[in-house]
Amino acid sequence: MLGALLTSSLTRIIPIGMMLLALQTTLFSEMQPFGVIIQLVLTFAACAGAVGGPERGAIAGFVLGIMFDLSIGTPLGGTSIAMGLGGYVAGWCDVIRVETTWWFAAAFVALGAAVGETMVPVVRRFIGEEDAFVPEMLTIIPVVTVTAAILSIPLVPVARWALKLGTPEWKLPADG
Amino acid sequence: MAIYSAGRRRTMIILLLSSILLITLDLRGNAVFDAARTGFNYALRPFEIAGEVVTRPVERAWNGITQVDNLERENTVLQQQLDRLRSDQIAAQAALQENRELKALLDIDSLFASQRRTCSIIGSSPSNFDQRVEIDCGSVNGLRPGMPVLNDAGLIGKITTVSFDTSVVMLVTDTLYTVPVKVMAKVDPSPAPTTPSTVPSGLEVGDVTTTTTSAPPEETDTGTDTDTGTDTDTGTDTDTGTDTDTGTDTDTDIDTETDTGTDTDTGGSSASPDSVVPGGTTTTTTEVLVTRETGKLDGYGGALLPRVSLIDDSQAFGRISIGDAVLTAGGSLSLAPPGIPIGRVVNIITRAGVSGLELEVELNADLDRLNFLTVILYTAPREAAGLG
Repeated sequence: MLGALLTSSLTRIIPIGMMLLALQTTLFSEMQPFGVIIQLVLTFAACAGAVGGPERGAIAGFVLGIMFDLSIGTPLGGTSIAMGLGGYVAGWCDVIRVETTWWFAAAFVALGAAVGETMVPVVRRFIGEEDAFVPEMLTIIPVVTVTAAILSIPLVPVARWALKLGTPEWKLPADG
Repeated sequence: MAIYSAGRRRTMIILLLSSILLITLDLRGNAVFDAARTGFNYALRPFEIAGEVVTRPVERAWNGITQVDNLERENTVLQQQLDRLRSDQIAAQAALQENRELKALLDIDSLFASQRRTCSIIGSSPSNFDQRVEIDCGSVNGLRPGMPVLNDAGLIGKITTVSFDTSVVMLVTDTLYTVPVKVMAKVDPSPAPTTPSTVPSGLEVGDVTTTTTSAPPEETDTGTDTDTGTDTDTGTDTDTGTDTDTGTDTDTDIDTETDTGTDTDTGGSSASPDSVVPGGTTTTTTEVLVTRETGKLDGYGGALLPRVSLIDDSQAFGRISIGDAVLTAGGSLSLAPPGIPIGRVVNIITRAGVSGLELEVELNADLDRLNFLTVILYTAPREAAGLG
Protein backbone atom coordinates (compact mmCIF):
# COMPACT_ATOMS: atom_id res chain seq x y z
CA MET A 1 0.00 0.00 0.00
CA LEU A 2 2.89 2.34 0.82
CA GLY A 3 4.42 1.60 -2.55
CA ALA A 4 1.17 2.35 -4.30
CA LEU A 5 0.92 5.67 -2.54
CA LEU A 6 4.46 6.56 -3.48
CA THR A 7 3.58 6.21 -7.12
CA SER A 8 0.26 7.92 -6.91
CA SER A 9 -1.01 10.49 -4.45
CA LEU A 10 2.32 11.70 -3.08
CA THR A 11 3.12 13.21 -6.43
CA ARG A 12 0.22 15.57 -5.79
CA ILE A 13 0.48 15.89 -2.02
CA ILE A 14 4.08 17.15 -2.05
CA PRO A 15 3.58 20.10 -4.45
CA ILE A 16 0.31 21.04 -2.76
CA GLY A 17 2.05 20.74 0.58
CA MET A 18 4.78 23.11 -0.60
CA MET A 19 2.22 25.67 -1.70
CA LEU A 20 0.40 25.41 1.61
CA LEU A 21 3.69 25.60 3.48
CA ALA A 22 4.56 28.76 1.58
CA LEU A 23 1.19 30.24 2.57
CA GLN A 24 1.74 29.05 6.13
CA THR A 25 5.11 30.77 6.43
CA THR A 26 3.93 34.00 4.83
CA LEU A 27 0.26 34.93 5.11
CA PHE A 28 -0.77 32.70 7.99
CA SER A 29 2.26 33.59 10.10
CA GLU A 30 1.10 37.20 9.97
CA MET A 31 -2.62 36.67 10.35
CA GLN A 32 -2.95 35.60 13.93
CA PRO A 33 -6.49 35.69 15.29
CA PHE A 34 -6.24 35.93 19.08
CA GLY A 35 -2.47 35.68 18.70
CA VAL A 36 -2.64 32.15 17.32
CA ILE A 37 -1.11 31.00 14.04
CA ILE A 38 -3.66 29.15 11.95
CA GLN A 39 -2.35 25.70 11.07
CA LEU A 40 -3.02 25.36 7.35
CA VAL A 41 -0.76 22.38 6.71
CA LEU A 42 -2.11 20.45 9.68
CA THR A 43 -5.64 21.20 8.47
CA PHE A 44 -4.78 19.80 5.05
CA ALA A 45 -3.42 16.63 6.65
CA ALA A 46 -6.67 16.27 8.57
CA CYS A 47 -8.65 16.90 5.36
CA ALA A 48 -6.70 14.12 3.66
CA GLY A 49 -7.74 11.84 6.49
CA ALA A 50 -11.36 12.96 6.34
CA VAL A 51 -11.68 12.09 2.66
CA GLY A 52 -9.19 9.24 2.38
CA GLY A 53 -9.51 7.38 5.65
CA PRO A 54 -7.14 6.90 8.59
CA GLU A 55 -4.26 5.29 6.66
CA ARG A 56 -4.11 7.87 3.91
CA GLY A 57 -4.58 10.62 6.46
CA ALA A 58 -1.72 9.32 8.56
CA ILE A 59 0.60 8.95 5.57
CA ALA A 60 -0.30 12.41 4.23
CA GLY A 61 0.25 13.84 7.71
CA PHE A 62 3.59 12.08 7.99
CA VAL A 63 4.80 13.48 4.66
CA LEU A 64 3.50 16.98 5.35
CA GLY A 65 5.03 16.86 8.82
CA ILE A 66 8.45 16.03 7.41
CA MET A 67 8.12 18.93 4.98
CA PHE A 68 7.13 21.19 7.87
CA ASP A 69 10.14 20.09 9.94
CA LEU A 70 12.50 20.51 6.99
CA SER A 71 11.17 24.01 6.50
CA ILE A 72 11.34 25.39 10.03
CA GLY A 73 14.31 23.47 11.40
CA THR A 74 12.57 21.50 14.16
CA PRO A 75 13.71 17.92 14.79
CA LEU A 76 12.80 15.87 11.75
CA GLY A 77 9.88 13.56 12.49
CA GLY A 78 8.51 15.48 15.48
CA THR A 79 5.75 17.23 13.56
CA SER A 80 5.21 14.10 11.47
CA ILE A 81 3.89 12.26 14.51
CA ALA A 82 1.55 15.13 15.37
CA MET A 83 0.24 15.62 11.84
CA GLY A 84 0.09 11.87 11.19
CA LEU A 85 -2.07 11.42 14.24
CA GLY A 86 -4.20 14.40 13.22
CA GLY A 87 -4.79 12.81 9.80
CA TYR A 88 -5.49 9.45 11.38
CA VAL A 89 -8.09 10.83 13.81
CA ALA A 90 -9.80 12.83 11.08
CA GLY A 91 -9.87 9.64 9.04
CA TRP A 92 -12.44 8.14 11.38
CA CYS A 93 -14.87 10.37 9.57
CA ASP A 94 -14.46 8.23 6.48
CA VAL A 95 -14.81 5.07 8.52
CA ILE A 96 -17.92 6.06 10.45
CA ARG A 97 -19.90 7.52 7.58
CA VAL A 98 -20.11 6.17 4.06
CA GLU A 99 -20.90 9.41 2.26
CA THR A 100 -19.27 12.41 3.90
CA THR A 101 -21.15 15.70 4.03
CA TRP A 102 -19.20 18.96 4.26
CA TRP A 103 -20.21 19.66 7.85
CA PHE A 104 -19.43 16.13 8.95
CA ALA A 105 -15.99 16.37 7.35
CA ALA A 106 -15.49 19.80 8.93
CA ALA A 107 -16.22 18.39 12.37
CA PHE A 108 -13.70 15.58 11.96
CA VAL A 109 -11.10 17.84 10.41
CA ALA A 110 -11.48 20.11 13.44
CA LEU A 111 -11.10 17.12 15.75
CA GLY A 112 -8.04 15.89 13.85
CA ALA A 113 -6.46 19.34 13.89
CA ALA A 114 -7.10 19.67 17.62
CA VAL A 115 -5.47 16.32 18.30
CA GLY A 116 -2.56 17.11 15.99
CA GLU A 117 -1.90 20.52 17.58
CA THR A 118 -2.13 19.03 21.06
CA MET A 119 0.39 16.40 20.08
CA VAL A 120 3.04 18.97 19.12
CA PRO A 121 4.02 19.86 22.72
CA VAL A 122 3.53 16.24 23.79
CA VAL A 123 6.08 15.05 21.24
CA ARG A 124 8.44 17.87 22.14
CA ARG A 125 8.20 16.97 25.79
CA PHE A 126 9.16 13.42 24.89
CA ILE A 127 12.23 14.57 23.00
CA GLY A 128 13.46 16.54 25.97
CA GLU A 129 12.05 20.05 25.67
CA GLU A 130 11.31 21.12 29.23
CA ASP A 131 8.83 23.93 28.69
CA ALA A 132 6.94 22.48 25.77
CA PHE A 133 3.52 23.08 27.31
CA VAL A 134 2.86 26.78 27.09
CA PRO A 135 -0.03 28.48 28.91
CA GLU A 136 -1.45 29.73 25.62
CA MET A 137 -2.47 26.16 24.81
CA LEU A 138 -5.93 27.02 26.13
CA THR A 139 -6.25 29.60 23.36
CA ILE A 140 -4.24 27.83 20.68
CA ILE A 141 -6.24 24.62 20.58
CA PRO A 142 -9.74 26.19 20.28
CA VAL A 143 -8.60 28.69 17.63
CA VAL A 144 -6.80 26.02 15.59
CA THR A 145 -9.85 23.77 15.89
CA VAL A 146 -12.35 26.39 14.72
CA THR A 147 -10.17 27.67 11.89
CA ALA A 148 -9.51 24.10 10.75
CA ALA A 149 -13.25 23.51 10.53
CA ILE A 150 -13.67 26.65 8.41
CA LEU A 151 -10.66 25.92 6.19
CA SER A 152 -11.83 22.36 5.63
CA ILE A 153 -14.57 23.66 3.32
CA PRO A 154 -12.11 24.66 0.55
CA LEU A 155 -9.42 22.15 1.49
CA VAL A 156 -11.48 18.94 1.47
CA PRO A 157 -11.99 19.03 -2.34
CA VAL A 158 -8.29 19.79 -2.77
CA ALA A 159 -7.42 16.84 -0.55
CA ARG A 160 -9.78 14.62 -2.52
CA TRP A 161 -8.05 15.64 -5.73
CA ALA A 162 -4.60 15.20 -4.19
CA LEU A 163 -5.46 11.68 -3.10
CA LYS A 164 -6.98 10.96 -6.51
CA LEU A 165 -10.32 10.08 -5.00
CA GLY A 166 -13.55 10.50 -6.87
CA THR A 167 -16.86 11.46 -5.34
CA PRO A 168 -18.37 8.21 -4.03
CA GLU A 169 -21.14 6.86 -6.18
CA TRP A 170 -23.73 4.56 -4.70
CA LYS A 171 -26.19 2.44 -6.57
CA LEU A 172 -29.26 0.85 -5.10
CA PRO A 173 -29.18 -2.93 -5.33
CA ALA A 174 -31.34 -4.19 -8.11
CA ASP A 175 -34.53 -5.98 -7.10
CA GLY A 176 -34.55 -9.70 -7.34
CA MET B 1 -14.88 -0.68 7.59
CA ALA B 2 -13.36 -1.33 11.00
CA ILE B 3 -11.44 1.39 12.76
CA TYR B 4 -8.80 -1.09 13.83
CA SER B 5 -7.46 -3.56 11.29
CA ALA B 6 -4.17 -5.38 10.94
CA GLY B 7 -3.13 -3.38 7.88
CA ARG B 8 -4.01 -0.08 9.46
CA ARG B 9 -2.18 -0.94 12.66
CA ARG B 10 0.87 -1.99 10.63
CA THR B 11 0.86 1.29 8.73
CA MET B 12 0.60 3.32 11.89
CA ILE B 13 3.42 1.38 13.57
CA ILE B 14 5.66 1.83 10.52
CA LEU B 15 4.98 5.58 10.45
CA LEU B 16 5.50 5.96 14.18
CA LEU B 17 8.77 4.02 14.15
CA SER B 18 9.95 5.99 11.11
CA SER B 19 9.24 9.23 12.94
CA ILE B 20 11.07 8.09 16.05
CA LEU B 21 14.03 6.96 13.96
CA LEU B 22 14.14 10.30 12.16
CA ILE B 23 13.95 12.24 15.43
CA THR B 24 16.74 10.15 16.95
CA LEU B 25 19.01 10.53 13.95
CA ASP B 26 18.30 14.25 13.64
CA LEU B 27 18.86 15.03 17.30
CA ARG B 28 22.22 13.27 17.18
CA GLY B 29 23.21 15.42 14.20
CA ASN B 30 23.12 14.12 10.69
CA ALA B 31 24.80 15.67 7.67
CA VAL B 32 22.31 14.08 5.28
CA PHE B 33 19.40 15.71 7.07
CA ASP B 34 21.18 19.05 7.10
CA ALA B 35 21.70 18.78 3.36
CA ALA B 36 18.06 17.78 2.94
CA ARG B 37 16.97 20.85 4.89
CA THR B 38 19.10 23.12 2.73
CA GLY B 39 17.80 21.51 -0.44
CA PHE B 40 14.21 21.68 0.70
CA ASN B 41 14.51 25.33 1.61
CA TYR B 42 15.93 26.00 -1.85
CA ALA B 43 12.99 24.25 -3.40
CA LEU B 44 10.52 26.02 -1.12
CA ARG B 45 11.94 29.50 -1.68
CA PRO B 46 10.17 30.14 -5.03
CA PHE B 47 6.89 29.06 -3.46
CA GLU B 48 7.48 31.42 -0.55
CA ILE B 49 8.30 34.33 -2.83
CA ALA B 50 5.18 33.65 -4.86
CA GLY B 51 3.19 33.33 -1.66
CA GLU B 52 4.51 36.65 -0.38
CA VAL B 53 3.61 38.44 -3.58
CA VAL B 54 0.14 36.95 -3.81
CA THR B 55 -0.79 37.35 -0.17
CA ARG B 56 0.73 40.76 0.53
CA PRO B 57 -2.49 42.68 -0.20
CA VAL B 58 -4.45 40.35 2.07
CA GLU B 59 -1.80 40.64 4.75
CA ARG B 60 -1.84 44.43 4.59
CA ALA B 61 -5.61 44.55 4.73
CA TRP B 62 -5.58 42.27 7.77
CA ASN B 63 -2.93 44.35 9.50
CA GLY B 64 -4.85 47.51 8.65
CA ILE B 65 -7.98 46.15 10.25
CA THR B 66 -6.45 44.58 13.33
CA GLN B 67 -3.54 46.84 14.20
CA VAL B 68 -4.49 50.43 13.51
CA ASP B 69 -5.72 51.14 17.04
CA ASN B 70 -2.64 49.60 18.61
CA LEU B 71 -0.37 51.55 16.29
CA GLU B 72 -1.97 54.87 17.15
CA ARG B 73 -1.67 54.18 20.86
CA GLU B 74 1.87 52.96 20.48
CA ASN B 75 2.80 55.98 18.39
CA THR B 76 1.74 58.32 21.17
CA VAL B 77 3.72 56.43 23.77
CA LEU B 78 6.75 56.21 21.53
CA GLN B 79 6.69 59.94 20.85
CA GLN B 80 6.80 60.58 24.58
CA GLN B 81 9.64 58.12 24.99
CA LEU B 82 11.54 59.68 22.12
CA ASP B 83 11.43 63.10 23.70
CA ARG B 84 12.69 61.67 26.95
CA LEU B 85 15.45 59.64 25.33
CA ARG B 86 16.86 62.42 23.16
CA SER B 87 18.57 64.04 26.09
CA ASP B 88 19.84 60.72 27.39
CA GLN B 89 21.26 59.83 24.02
CA ILE B 90 23.77 62.64 24.00
CA ALA B 91 25.16 61.64 27.37
CA ALA B 92 25.13 57.97 26.40
CA GLN B 93 27.07 58.58 23.19
CA ALA B 94 29.78 60.39 25.08
CA ALA B 95 29.99 57.57 27.62
CA LEU B 96 30.04 54.98 24.86
CA GLN B 97 32.89 56.67 23.08
CA GLU B 98 34.81 56.92 26.31
CA ASN B 99 34.13 53.28 27.03
CA ARG B 100 35.41 52.21 23.63
CA GLU B 101 38.57 54.23 24.03
CA LEU B 102 39.26 52.83 27.47
CA LYS B 103 38.66 49.27 26.31
CA ALA B 104 40.98 49.82 23.38
CA LEU B 105 43.62 51.19 25.75
CA LEU B 106 43.32 48.23 28.09
CA ASP B 107 43.07 45.75 25.22
CA ILE B 108 39.74 44.40 26.41
CA ASP B 109 37.52 42.54 23.96
CA SER B 110 34.63 44.71 23.00
CA LEU B 111 31.30 44.09 21.41
CA PHE B 112 32.24 46.62 18.79
CA ALA B 113 35.34 44.71 17.80
CA SER B 114 33.32 41.95 16.13
CA GLN B 115 32.16 42.18 12.57
CA ARG B 116 28.47 42.59 11.97
CA ARG B 117 26.10 41.65 9.22
CA THR B 118 22.74 43.31 8.73
CA CYS B 119 20.00 41.01 7.49
CA SER B 120 16.31 41.35 6.90
CA ILE B 121 13.58 38.99 8.01
CA ILE B 122 12.00 36.97 5.25
CA GLY B 123 9.70 34.75 7.26
CA SER B 124 8.60 33.77 10.69
CA SER B 125 7.87 30.44 12.27
CA PRO B 126 4.57 28.92 11.21
CA SER B 127 4.31 27.02 14.48
CA ASN B 128 2.53 28.14 17.64
CA PHE B 129 5.26 26.57 19.75
CA ASP B 130 8.39 28.02 18.17
CA GLN B 131 9.69 31.54 18.46
CA ARG B 132 11.87 31.72 15.36
CA VAL B 133 12.33 33.88 12.29
CA GLU B 134 14.09 33.35 9.01
CA ILE B 135 16.61 35.90 7.72
CA ASP B 136 18.13 36.46 4.30
CA CYS B 137 21.75 35.83 5.30
CA GLY B 138 23.46 32.47 5.33
CA SER B 139 26.80 30.73 5.27
CA VAL B 140 27.76 32.79 2.24
CA ASN B 141 27.67 35.85 4.51
CA GLY B 142 29.85 34.21 7.14
CA LEU B 143 27.03 33.19 9.47
CA ARG B 144 27.38 30.15 11.67
CA PRO B 145 25.04 28.47 14.17
CA GLY B 146 25.20 30.08 17.59
CA MET B 147 26.02 33.61 16.52
CA PRO B 148 24.11 36.27 18.46
CA VAL B 149 21.48 38.34 16.72
CA LEU B 150 20.41 41.78 17.86
CA ASN B 151 18.80 44.98 16.71
CA ASP B 152 19.19 48.55 17.87
CA ALA B 153 17.24 47.83 21.04
CA GLY B 154 19.17 44.79 22.17
CA LEU B 155 19.50 41.03 21.94
CA ILE B 156 17.02 39.22 19.72
CA GLY B 157 18.26 35.64 19.73
CA LYS B 158 20.79 33.38 18.09
CA ILE B 159 21.33 31.62 14.81
CA THR B 160 20.26 27.98 14.94
CA THR B 161 20.19 26.77 11.37
CA VAL B 162 22.30 28.09 8.53
CA SER B 163 21.84 27.28 4.88
CA PHE B 164 23.62 28.85 1.93
CA ASP B 165 21.78 32.16 1.83
CA THR B 166 19.19 31.95 4.60
CA SER B 167 19.30 31.25 8.33
CA VAL B 168 16.89 30.57 11.13
CA VAL B 169 17.06 32.75 14.25
CA MET B 170 15.80 31.38 17.54
CA LEU B 171 14.32 34.29 19.48
CA VAL B 172 15.08 34.98 23.12
CA THR B 173 11.55 33.95 24.03
CA ASP B 174 11.87 30.45 22.58
CA THR B 175 11.64 27.77 25.23
CA LEU B 176 14.94 26.29 24.07
CA TYR B 177 16.84 29.57 24.28
CA THR B 178 19.34 30.16 27.04
CA VAL B 179 22.20 32.61 27.49
CA PRO B 180 24.46 33.65 30.39
CA VAL B 181 23.57 37.13 31.58
CA LYS B 182 24.60 39.66 34.16
CA VAL B 183 22.33 41.96 36.09
CA MET B 184 23.42 45.48 36.82
CA ALA B 185 22.19 45.84 40.37
CA LYS B 186 22.27 48.44 43.11
CA VAL B 187 23.93 48.05 46.47
CA ASP B 188 22.17 48.93 49.70
CA PRO B 189 23.48 52.13 51.32
CA SER B 190 25.08 50.25 54.15
CA PRO B 191 28.77 49.48 54.53
CA ALA B 192 29.48 46.50 52.38
CA PRO B 193 31.40 43.64 53.92
CA THR B 194 34.79 42.78 52.62
CA THR B 195 34.79 40.85 49.41
CA PRO B 196 34.44 37.15 50.14
CA SER B 197 37.11 34.86 48.87
CA THR B 198 34.54 32.67 47.23
CA VAL B 199 31.27 33.26 45.45
CA PRO B 200 28.21 31.19 46.41
CA SER B 201 29.05 28.58 43.83
CA GLY B 202 32.23 27.85 45.71
CA LEU B 203 34.56 29.11 43.03
CA GLU B 204 37.33 31.50 43.84
CA VAL B 205 36.45 35.07 43.13
CA GLY B 206 39.31 35.37 40.74
CA ASP B 207 38.00 32.45 38.71
CA VAL B 208 34.67 33.94 37.85
CA THR B 209 33.54 37.11 36.22
CA THR B 210 31.11 38.12 38.93
CA THR B 211 33.45 40.07 41.10
CA THR B 212 32.30 43.42 42.32
CA THR B 213 33.15 46.27 40.06
CA SER B 214 32.79 49.91 40.69
CA ALA B 215 30.98 52.60 38.84
CA PRO B 216 32.99 55.13 36.90
CA PRO B 217 34.42 57.91 39.06
CA GLU B 218 31.81 60.56 39.37
CA GLU B 219 31.93 62.28 42.73
CA THR B 220 30.04 65.51 43.01
CA ASP B 221 30.43 67.39 46.19
CA THR B 222 28.22 70.32 46.99
CA GLY B 223 29.35 73.54 48.55
CA THR B 224 32.88 74.63 49.22
CA ASP B 225 33.60 72.29 52.06
CA THR B 226 36.88 70.47 52.34
CA ASP B 227 36.83 66.73 52.56
CA THR B 228 39.04 65.63 55.41
CA GLY B 229 37.78 62.07 55.69
CA THR B 230 39.96 59.05 55.62
CA ASP B 231 39.70 56.02 53.35
CA THR B 232 40.39 52.70 54.97
CA ASP B 233 41.87 50.01 52.76
CA THR B 234 41.06 46.61 54.18
CA GLY B 235 43.78 44.99 52.18
CA THR B 236 41.42 42.64 50.43
CA ASP B 237 40.94 44.69 47.32
CA THR B 238 37.84 46.24 48.74
CA ASP B 239 37.77 49.71 50.14
CA THR B 240 34.92 50.48 52.47
CA GLY B 241 35.37 54.02 53.61
CA THR B 242 33.35 56.57 55.43
CA ASP B 243 34.17 60.15 54.60
CA THR B 244 33.07 62.78 57.08
CA ASP B 245 33.27 66.45 56.32
CA THR B 246 34.03 68.89 59.02
CA GLY B 247 32.36 72.26 59.13
CA THR B 248 28.75 72.94 58.55
CA ASP B 249 28.25 70.33 55.86
CA THR B 250 28.28 66.64 56.60
CA ASP B 251 28.99 64.16 53.82
CA THR B 252 28.33 60.50 54.39
CA ASP B 253 29.76 58.60 51.48
CA ILE B 254 29.58 54.87 51.42
CA ASP B 255 31.98 53.63 48.81
CA THR B 256 32.57 50.14 47.63
CA GLU B 257 35.64 50.14 45.54
CA THR B 258 37.78 47.71 43.69
CA ASP B 259 41.47 48.16 43.94
CA THR B 260 42.81 47.67 40.47
CA GLY B 261 46.31 47.20 41.74
CA THR B 262 47.39 50.64 40.75
CA ASP B 263 46.07 52.34 43.85
CA THR B 264 43.48 54.16 41.86
CA ASP B 265 40.60 55.29 43.97
CA THR B 266 37.63 54.95 41.68
CA GLY B 267 35.10 56.10 44.20
CA GLY B 268 31.38 55.83 43.93
CA SER B 269 28.87 57.96 42.24
CA SER B 270 27.23 60.58 44.38
CA ALA B 271 24.10 61.00 42.43
CA SER B 272 21.67 61.30 45.25
CA PRO B 273 20.07 64.62 45.94
CA ASP B 274 21.12 66.67 48.90
CA SER B 275 18.66 67.12 51.69
CA VAL B 276 18.57 70.28 53.80
CA VAL B 277 17.91 69.70 57.47
CA PRO B 278 16.86 72.41 59.97
CA GLY B 279 19.79 74.49 61.11
CA GLY B 280 21.26 74.78 57.67
CA THR B 281 23.07 71.42 57.70
CA THR B 282 23.18 69.61 54.35
CA THR B 283 23.49 65.83 54.25
CA THR B 284 24.60 64.03 51.10
CA THR B 285 24.20 60.24 50.97
CA THR B 286 25.77 58.19 48.23
CA GLU B 287 23.41 55.37 47.33
CA VAL B 288 24.02 54.39 43.77
CA LEU B 289 26.82 51.95 43.41
CA VAL B 290 26.60 49.54 40.55
CA THR B 291 27.69 45.99 40.87
CA ARG B 292 26.73 42.91 38.92
CA GLU B 293 25.39 39.44 39.31
CA THR B 294 25.36 36.67 36.76
CA GLY B 295 22.76 34.09 35.94
CA LYS B 296 21.13 32.24 33.10
CA LEU B 297 18.35 33.68 30.99
CA ASP B 298 15.80 31.22 29.59
CA GLY B 299 12.92 31.77 27.21
CA TYR B 300 9.47 30.70 28.31
CA GLY B 301 7.45 30.95 25.12
CA GLY B 302 5.89 33.84 23.27
CA ALA B 303 3.45 35.05 25.90
CA LEU B 304 5.69 34.78 28.95
CA LEU B 305 8.65 36.94 29.79
CA PRO B 306 12.10 35.35 29.77
CA ARG B 307 13.49 34.62 33.21
CA VAL B 308 16.91 34.82 34.75
CA SER B 309 17.71 32.05 37.18
CA LEU B 310 20.76 31.02 39.23
CA ILE B 311 20.72 34.44 40.85
CA ASP B 312 21.91 34.56 44.43
CA ASP B 313 20.06 36.95 46.70
CA SER B 314 23.23 38.06 48.39
CA GLN B 315 23.97 41.44 49.84
CA ALA B 316 27.59 41.00 48.86
CA PHE B 317 26.74 41.13 45.18
CA GLY B 318 24.11 43.82 45.46
CA ARG B 319 20.38 43.79 45.92
CA ILE B 320 18.56 43.34 42.67
CA SER B 321 15.58 45.58 42.20
CA ILE B 322 12.95 46.16 39.57
CA GLY B 323 14.31 48.19 36.70
CA ASP B 324 17.84 46.81 36.86
CA ALA B 325 19.40 46.25 33.47
CA VAL B 326 20.14 42.77 32.14
CA LEU B 327 23.02 42.28 29.72
CA THR B 328 24.81 39.31 28.24
CA ALA B 329 27.64 38.11 30.47
CA GLY B 330 29.96 36.68 27.86
CA GLY B 331 32.54 34.18 29.00
CA SER B 332 34.38 31.33 27.37
CA LEU B 333 31.29 29.15 27.05
CA SER B 334 28.81 31.82 26.05
CA LEU B 335 27.84 32.15 22.42
CA ALA B 336 27.22 35.87 22.90
CA PRO B 337 29.88 38.47 23.71
CA PRO B 338 29.51 40.43 26.93
CA GLY B 339 27.60 43.67 27.16
CA ILE B 340 24.69 43.20 24.77
CA PRO B 341 21.65 44.79 26.42
CA ILE B 342 18.72 42.41 26.81
CA GLY B 343 16.13 44.16 28.93
CA ARG B 344 15.11 45.21 32.41
CA VAL B 345 13.96 43.34 35.47
CA VAL B 346 10.21 43.72 35.88
CA ASN B 347 9.50 41.07 38.48
CA ILE B 348 11.54 39.38 41.17
CA ILE B 349 10.42 35.92 42.18
CA THR B 350 11.77 34.64 45.46
CA ARG B 351 11.98 30.88 45.51
CA ALA B 352 12.10 28.68 48.52
CA GLY B 353 15.26 27.13 49.87
CA VAL B 354 18.54 27.64 48.13
CA SER B 355 16.99 28.07 44.70
CA GLY B 356 17.75 31.78 44.81
CA LEU B 357 15.94 34.47 42.94
CA GLU B 358 14.27 34.29 39.59
CA LEU B 359 13.89 37.47 37.61
CA GLU B 360 11.36 38.19 34.91
CA VAL B 361 12.91 40.33 32.21
CA GLU B 362 11.08 42.68 29.90
CA LEU B 363 13.00 42.71 26.66
CA ASN B 364 14.25 45.96 25.19
CA ALA B 365 13.51 44.73 21.69
CA ASP B 366 9.95 44.36 20.49
CA LEU B 367 9.99 40.90 18.98
CA ASP B 368 6.62 41.41 17.32
CA ARG B 369 7.96 44.17 15.11
CA LEU B 370 11.23 43.01 13.68
CA ASN B 371 12.43 44.05 10.26
CA PHE B 372 16.20 44.24 10.15
CA LEU B 373 18.49 42.29 12.39
CA THR B 374 22.21 42.46 12.98
CA VAL B 375 24.19 39.29 13.31
CA ILE B 376 27.46 39.61 15.21
CA LEU B 377 30.02 37.38 13.59
CA TYR B 378 31.25 36.31 16.98
CA THR B 379 32.76 33.00 17.88
CA ALA B 380 32.83 31.94 21.51
CA PRO B 381 36.39 31.97 22.89
CA ARG B 382 36.41 28.25 23.59
CA GLU B 383 35.08 27.48 20.15
CA ALA B 384 37.53 29.89 18.58
CA ALA B 385 40.38 28.16 20.40
CA GLY B 386 39.18 24.86 18.99
CA LEU B 387 39.08 26.27 15.50
CA GLY B 388 42.52 27.76 15.82
